[in-house]
Amino acid sequence: MYSERIEKTLKAKGISVGDEVKLTSGDDMFEGVLMPRAETGDSSIIVIKLRNGYNIGLKFGDGASIKKLDVKREEFAFPKVELKKGKGLPKVSLLYTGGTIGSKVDYKTGGVHMLIKPEELLYAIPELSGIAEVEIRDLMSIASEDMTYKEWQRIAKETAEALNSGARGVVITHGTDTMHFTSAALSFMLECLNAPVVMTGAQRSSDRGSSDAFMNAICAVSLAAKSDVAEVGICMHANTSDDLCNLIRGTKARKMHTSRRDAFRPVNGRPIARIDVGGKIEYASGYKKISDTEARVKAITGFEPKVALIKVHPNSDPDVLEYYLGKGYKGAIIEGTGLGHVPIAPSDKKYSWLGAIKRAVDAGMLVGMTSQCLNGRVNTNVYTNLRLIHGAGAIYCEDMMPEVAVVKLGFLLGNYERGQAAKLLDKNLKGEITSRTEVDWR
Amino acid sequence: MRDEKHYESIGFKCGLEIHQRLATESKLFCSCSAQMPSDVSVEEIERRQRAVAGELGKVDPSAVFESARARKFVYNAFSKSACLVDIDEEPPHELNPEALDIAMLISASLGMKIPAEIETMRKEVVDGSDPSAFQRTMLVGYNGRMRVGKKDLAIPTVFLEEESSGIERSDKEIVLYNIDRLGVPLIEIDTDPDIKTPDEAKEVARRIGLLLRITGRVQRGIGSIRQDVNISIRGGTRVEIKGFQELETMDVIIDREIERHQKLIELAGALHKRKAKVHNSEEVTDIFKSTKAKLLRQSLDGGGVAIAARLEGFEGLLGQEVNPDRRLGSEISDYAKMGGVGGIIHSDENLARYELSDAEVSALNERLGLKKGDAFILVTGPAEACSTAIKYALIRAELAFDGVPKETRGADGKRLITTFMRPLPGGSRMYPETDVKPIVTDEKAYAQLKSRVVDPDNLLKELEADIGNKQLASQMLWSPYLPLFKEMVDKTKVSGSVIAPILLEKTKELRRSGVAVDRIGADAFARIFERYGHGEITKAAIGEVIKAAPASADEVDRAIKANKLERISGTELKSIIHKLGNKGKDELMRELMSKYRLNVDGEELRSLLDKR
Repeated sequence: MYSERIEKTLKAKGISVGDEVKLTSGDDMFEGVLMPRAETGDSSIIVIKLRNGYNIGLKFGDGASIKKLDVKREEFAFPKVELKKGKGLPKVSLLYTGGTIGSKVDYKTGGVHMLIKPEELLYAIPELSGIAEVEIRDLMSIASEDMTYKEWQRIAKETAEALNSGARGVVITHGTDTMHFTSAALSFMLECLNAPVVMTGAQRSSDRGSSDAFMNAICAVSLAAKSDVAEVGICMHANTSDDLCNLIRGTKARKMHTSRRDAFRPVNGRPIARIDVGGKIEYASGYKKISDTEARVKAITGFEPKVALIKVHPNSDPDVLEYYLGKGYKGAIIEGTGLGHVPIAPSDKKYSWLGAIKRAVDAGMLVGMTSQCLNGRVNTNVYTNLRLIHGAGAIYCEDMMPEVAVVKLGFLLGNYERGQAAKLLDKNLKGEITSRTEVDWR
Repeated sequence: MRDEKHYESIGFKCGLEIHQRLATESKLFCSCSAQMPSDVSVEEIERRQRAVAGELGKVDPSAVFESARARKFVYNAFSKSACLVDIDEEPPHELNPEALDIAMLISASLGMKIPAEIETMRKEVVDGSDPSAFQRTMLVGYNGRMRVGKKDLAIPTVFLEEESSGIERSDKEIVLYNIDRLGVPLIEIDTDPDIKTPDEAKEVARRIGLLLRITGRVQRGIGSIRQDVNISIRGGTRVEIKGFQELETMDVIIDREIERHQKLIELAGALHKRKAKVHNSEEVTDIFKSTKAKLLRQSLDGGGVAIAARLEGFEGLLGQEVNPDRRLGSEISDYAKMGGVGGIIHSDENLARYELSDAEVSALNERLGLKKGDAFILVTGPAEACSTAIKYALIRAELAFDGVPKETRGADGKRLITTFMRPLPGGSRMYPETDVKPIVTDEKAYAQLKSRVVDPDNLLKELEADIGNKQLASQMLWSPYLPLFKEMVDKTKVSGSVIAPILLEKTKELRRSGVAVDRIGADAFARIFERYGHGEITKAAIGEVIKAAPASADEVDRAIKANKLERISGTELKSIIHKLGNKGKDELMRELMSKYRLNVDGEELRSLLDKR
């Protein structure tokens, strides 16, 4: 975005971004391609990509002039990729929803932006067509922080549709920030699932040679094509090397790092499987296997969005619960401290949560308790205070992660009446709750 | 020695790229130490990289070439000198302001103009030397000039960029890098290709090296400065030579490279004249089914194949030397090796060396349809490596028609020739680093910086005046002690003629005898010369204080006290003389100097004795 003055000059000379130009200012003369301008910074500057490949910001002041040069540049277009319809290769549907895995440099904001066309992904990763007959469904191009339950519903329906129309497995590319919310939602929404549904993404955009997108996509497609896992899982780097990916259960995965490629970690569990870049799968823990059933996958997509996730902390005011109640919220998951505590007897009574929880539950709200420790299980008995909170009506959600609990709560309230939902909240439906915690799980 | 006219007559063109590491606390885009301590590797990270399209949509030819080799890159990560930014697991931090300052200083000393806004770019790196597959780089100066003797050489560009990783070892499958030096700030200075002779190239390199050194803000030691030379001659094309270990042999290697270009251009002429042609390759494994030739036997027994191709009209040319012990055949072999085989066999070689039987050679000739004047090349190895190798070999054979291929080559300081590294990268491998905001430069501050630039010739004159000794002055110009020397001369009242020999000679002598001279900081030196300037220690005691290797000013004082190095002078000295009674002048002088050599100033003593 250039300043109004510069835009005017450019327009008058018929120059647009991408044109070869000659810029003269005093003794200086530069030839190169006029680049778009990031919206930040000094507005009197013109950016030119010089013949040596470097961009340079030059003051376009008085006495400076710019001229369009008559140089033809080859236009680059990604070649249309004809996918090998290899006989005997399993059919995999790739649902494209956006995110870094499908992102490119955006010169407008100077940041990474979702622009890439899905088929460009196959151009960039030709290996995919050697693993499966990949059918791409371009669902949406959305940053994962912008995802809502409406997108979850759509993805669930499309997944069921793809599987019911012959796909052996489904791969969903997704932004990483909220991928674990979507994976939880899909886990609950897909009933009678009898095929691998593998979500994947990237922490480094695929326009860089070091992107993790390549291996993640290869491993995800391999899992969808070959594994006998009949669950929703997240397939991302297992460590910082490009050698192994983890498949983590959709209800046990969490993004635990802002930028590393192995950001996704299982919480209170082990990965279902590990897969190397050559497609070799090693199963690491129990999972639901594909069975002989003929039943079709059903997408049960009811969802109650008026559910909140509340984190307590020293000085946190229980009024926030009253606020949600006032706004018509049907449920809330509390991220308590330790075993599932909230402040009960602070010096200032105003900060006690006990009354607020009781009032919310009595008013019909479903209140679930999880722990901000993430690792481990909440408990209702160890301390008197835990018994009091439990007594007030909060449902203790075992070793379920807070994010998974809030998704589950929305799902339950969207599909069941309140009493039934309350009963199901602390029961395992899709691997979100485990009855025992093994010694070597962190 | 060939003169300028000779080089002019062959259309010799030469420009330099000088890379110099800057002496900053931390790296260019993160807070890791830039000092590269000899750390123990804490983790090994394995990565695979691939060629991607650049900003304008083109994939770089050298990128595709490297990507086809599909080597695995392994990185040794270190605790103090590497972080998540270095292993491409965290976005870059803000640009290191100290590095930018030094870059501006160097730009100023080369009379560069600076952009109104500096744009950080990603330069695609395909050899794995950067875990992110690109190097961050920015143009910080343009349109500069420098004087070398009588020559006024244009310096079109100066860049500030990240250092690459250091290679630990490499083979066909794996390259192991150390990433401690990755991301250390580096300045690249490019000269105009206006250098007229190999000797001048050496001179220019030396001059730029000096300009960098006298800033006092660049790293020193092995690998901290690297010179790349770009050369071409008429009828040829540009070749980049990297990795000159020392300046001394630079001109010899350039001369040999010129010879190579001349020979290759001659060979191209011969090929065109003969209407030579490169034919497609064919698998010929069956011919060697029962071969006794060791190389082929081993390869075939291991499940390998043999592929050959006819090079019509190449006979005799493959065997022609282009450099001492290097032939056109060796050049083709270099390319084949990139595909993952050990080399090629070609018909201009003594085939008996490989123990190929006559029957096998005739069968091969027949299969390929070889006629008089033709040659063949043959590769053997695993099927995949072989098919890539022959492809690359044939690419090189085709390039022979153009004469000199565009290549990046390495300087071999032992054989004094260049060796093939990779095809010369194209210009399409740059795209903007979007994780870093553009940097608006400060024109006024830069103008001030420019006005304070020191010309090395004037500096030398100043040093000569200060030190009073031409040899020591020119030593000081190149010495790491230069900034300290200037500071000492400015700060203390001590003459340069005292300071220079101490810094240049005394330290050297003591370092050799095992004194940890390098732990003596600037503060400590300042205190030593202050004490001397104030008459608190003698000149002879300076060396003794240095022997104690004091790291700080306080340690200097402690060393003086502990070793009883305080100067004895004035009344105190007089009273000592008085106590010794009525002896001869010479005798007193001898006696006192042997006892108080480090504490008494000889001249003072003499003048006191004279006055007595």
